Parts: sequence; structure tokens; C-alpha cells
Amino acid sequence: MEGCSEPRLDAKSEVTNQLVDFQWKLGMAVSSDSCRSLKYPYVAVLLKVADHSGQVKNKSFEMTIPQFQNFYRQFKEIAAVIETV
Amino acid sequence: MAGELESSKALSGLLNGLAQEAFYGHQGITEELLRSQLYPEVSLEEFRPFLAKMRGILKSIASADMDFNQLEAFLTAQTKKQGGISSDQATVISKFWKSHKIKIRESLVNQSRWDSGLRGLSWRVDGKSQSRHSAQIHTPVAIMELEIGKSGQESEFLCLEFDEVKVNQLLKKLSEVEESISTLMQPA
Repeated sequence: MEGCSEPRLDAKSEVTNQLVDFQWKLGMAVSSDSCRSLKYPYVAVLLKVADHSGQVKNKSFEMTIPQFQNFYRQFKEIAAVIETV
Repeated sequence: MAGELESSKALSGLLNGLAQEAFYGHQGITEELLRSQLYPEVSLEEFRPFLAKMRGILKSIASADMDFNQLEAFLTAQTKKQGGISSDQATVISKFWKSHKIKIRESLVNQSRWDSGLRGLSWRVDGKSQSRHSAQIHTPVAIMELEIGKSGQESEFLCLEFDEVKVNQLLKKLSEVEESISTLMQPA
């Protein structure tokens, strides 16, 4: 039974992983060599994921605040849908 | 040939060219290209310091991410100093910054991000039937695909599976992040 979420996920990766751990950090970039007045907050995330064989890998990435808020909003939607399935 | 250097249209074009090269990563915008396209009547010897001056001004404005008050004060000071700019040139620069400020800032922010960014996110929820060996049937599963990648590199797709318990665990963590953000964004 498919969920009624949009857009439809057509997974590009062949393997699904389990999330073993989710670590986060809220950072503020203050200054850089190309911009003395950066002042931008970001969310840095470290995921520990395990594939079917149990091998654990780290994946890290950054999100801007609007990106994080979209991520959070989508996850809340997932929670709402999964409850009703 | 100061007259040629006064042209507003040419200066606008010059600032665009400088921004393309400094902020938007456009390769191959040489000094000679800019001169021949925008100031063909001006010699290279005369053009060079002019270009350097404009480049310096643009970089100062971008580096400080000037708001419009700061910009006005800065440009006024530039018009008053020896070998500075004219008030017409100040007007052109001001107009340019006002229309490009956001885009240039975004580009500078991206230049300072060296870790992977989140490029895309999609998901679906499946009702999963368990095998005949399991008593449970119809366990819903969320499948989420994250597209992550570093600037200029190909994306990596990471597919994650969550059951309802895991979804709620992660949701709790995300709400902690959200709380931190609210605390950070609160006026001091």
C-alpha cells in the first residue's frame, strides 16, 4: 500500500540503510577569507548508517536553516502519514 | 580619457563582469576582455588601475555585506577621497549592489561551505507485509532518500528506512535542533 505523499520516491540508490545514530550541531559561520561578515547559521549533521550486512558508515552534511526547517517539516509529515498507515 | 571612464552603462557592465569572476565562479573574464568590450577607447595602462579600484570597492562592499546605510556612508567617503570615485559612479555602484546583494552573499556563503550540502530529499511510506515467519503483518515503513553532495561534485544518494518508532525518535531530535535554532535567533 503506497503512501499518498508527493513527490513519489523513485529511489536512485539500490540499498536502504538503517539509521543507527543521528548527531547534530548548530553552528554559526562568522567570517571567512572571502567574506569578513558571513554571519550565517547552519545545521551540521552526522549520520551513522548501517547497511544490510551491518557495516556502519558515517555520512555528514550541512543544511542552511531554511533547509533544516524543510527537512523537519517533511519529517513531521512522514510521522503523520506513518501513523495512519 | 576620463570621459570614457565616466560611462554609467560601461561601469554597470564592468561590475557585472567583476561579480561573475569573483563571486559566480565564471572563468575567463580577463582584464583585456573587459577593456575591449566595455572601454575600447581606453588604453590598458589607464584601464588597469581603474579596474583595480572598482574591484577593490566591490570586494569591500561584499566582504562587509553592507546594508544600505553602510553602503551610502562608504560610497560617500570614496567620492571624497583623492583618486576616489565620482558621484555618478557611486550611483551606479549603489544600484548594482542593491540588485545583486542577495545573490552575491549566497555565493559567498556557498564558497565557504566545504562539507556536503543537502541537495534533495524525497520519501514515501510503505505498508510492509512481513514474512510468513513473523507474527506481525502490515508494519509501516518510511523510506527516505537524501541527495547530498559537495560543491561541484556529483550527488550521492543515501536511502534510509525507518519504522514508526525510529521516526518518532528522530522527530524528537529534530525538535531539539529546532529549539536550539529558536534560542539562537532570539534577539539578545
